[in-house]
Amino acid sequence: MAAAATGGGISADVPILHSENLTSNVKSIYYSRTFLSIISGVVAGIWGFTGLMGFVFYLLVMMVASLGLLVKAKFSIHTYFDSWNRILIEGVFGGLMSFVLFWTFAYDIVHIF
Amino acid sequence: MAEELVLDTAIRDWVLVPLSVVMVLIGVLRYFVAKLMRSPSASPSPDPKLVKEGQVVIRARNLRMNAQYIPAKAFKSRKVYYTNEENGLLHVPKEEAQKAQAAMFSDPNMAMDMMKKNLSMIVPQTLTFAWVNFFFSGFVAAKIPFPLTPRFRGMLQNGIDLSTVDVSYVSSRSWYFLNLFGLRGLFSLILGEENATDDAQKMMQMGGGFGGNPTMSLAAEKDSLDIIQHDWALPKMEHHAEEVLRKLLKK
Repeated sequence: MAAAATGGGISADVPILHSENLTSNVKSIYYSRTFLSIISGVVAGIWGFTGLMGFVFYLLVMMVASLGLLVKAKFSIHTYFDSWNRILIEGVFGGLMSFVLFWTFAYDIVHIF
Repeated sequence: MAEELVLDTAIRDWVLVPLSVVMVLIGVLRYFVAKLMRSPSASPSPDPKLVKEGQVVIRARNLRMNAQYIPAKAFKSRKVYYTNEENGLLHVPKEEAQKAQAAMFSDPNMAMDMMKKNLSMIVPQTLTFAWVNFFFSGFVAAKIPFPLTPRFRGMLQNGIDLSTVDVSYVSSRSWYFLNLFGLRGLFSLILGEENATDDAQKMMQMGGGFGGNPTMSLAAEKDSLDIIQHDWALPKMEHHAEEVLRKLLKK
């Protein structure tokens, strides 16, 4: 999380967004999500989750990530992002593929062979 | 269905791990090759007219994006400055537009650049695919830890023609494909944002700025500036400023 996205909410009705900062914030969310999805994939593989369990684990990790982002944003989402969806779902589906790959990789190496 | 296949550990050591490592390394290599190929073409000083047009487009875009932060009158006068039919910055005379288009098509440099970009994508992929096919075709390399319907057989067991093997076993060729898609996230982490896939998107976005067809983007920008609805976001700003100033005076 780099800089605050908004230049302060002067007028209450229309929030003023600084789009460059917003992009940078969204990018940092994306990076942390990607990183987390890879790490959680490896962890899930090593712990030997199979089937639905792994996806539940992924969702849990992503929820924890959202929570962490919320704390990091000091519970005022609209200071940093334009909507709640940003911290809730941004990058979740993009990370899923990486998660599956690293999950499979770690699982195979540890449990199959 | 229920019987488990026993996979040789040699498969892990000589197929699964090497394949993944090679995929990562090739991704990194491709990134640097693309960078090398790109830099010489960007360095010669571009046509000043092109640069000028690109900058005009960027200015117009800035106006369009931040339109709600200036009063209606200010916006209108700026809009006229950009879009009026006589000497607006974004206005391109018809015959000139046609000429520019013709010039674009006859310009071999542009096509060359596109070719280069495409080649740097396609060649490594074909080579890797051929390599994987040659060395590792036709056996099970991995098992995905979740069950799938038989529909996925074609996708995951590419290269094995056995219908009795459980679908969650992945052939080596399909493991290559899995890597191809799944490693994108890893690349964006290790190579930074300027990775090959992002690059294409970025080119697309700022196509108006440099390269692409500047006259075309001028016209497009003019259209979007024409249809924009102006909606001032700060009607209370003066009031607010007055308050602040009064507060300051009182002190």
